[in-house]
Amino acid sequence: MMRLATVLAGCLAFFLLAARVPAAPQQKDVMAETNLKVGQMAPDFTLPSDQQTSVKLSDYRGKKNVILAFYILAFTPG
Amino acid sequence: MKAYQSDLAKIKASDSVVFGISTDSPPANAAFAKQIGVTFPLLSDMNRKVLTEYGILKKYPMGGDSYEWARRTTFVIDKQGRIKHIEFDESAINPNTAVAICTGLGPKK
Repeated sequence: MMRLATVLAGCLAFFLLAARVPAAPQQKDVMAETNLKVGQMAPDFTLPSDQQTSVKLSDYRGKKNVILAFYILAFTPG
Repeated sequence: MKAYQSDLAKIKASDSVVFGISTDSPPANAAFAKQIGVTFPLLSDMNRKVLTEYGILKKYPMGGDSYEWARRTTFVIDKQGRIKHIEFDESAINPNTAVAICTGLGPKK
């Protein structure tokens, strides 16, 4: 009985391990780690808006705090 | 983006502005803004230059292929142009910390 349990546990461990292996490189691939740090100057940019204007980040320097909310795609929640 | 819209009055009161940024085109973002009632500007980084520079271009595997879009991230930038705060993923969806920083209260405990 004990031996059967050991074999079953071994099989389970093998399958769990096998299932994890292909996921590992993909996991690494999807990470996006910024090198920017708190205290650094935010890189400037000019981008077109949905309101037919363009927005230049440095235009707000000395005037306003800026929140940049990056989102994955339009029509997605969050 | 809806949560930021809900806090827009607080954001404006703290002498701040908010921009949404994605890889979508301006017409797609305009339709999105209309659908969810967002009145602050949504910016288009179609060539992914800003996402690359900010280090938040993320690969999303889909149907055996992979696509590069933004990682859900929020940056707070002060009036000197310095980064005050960076928040990722689920945490970035909630604007509370970003708004609190803008109002000068610091992160909620």
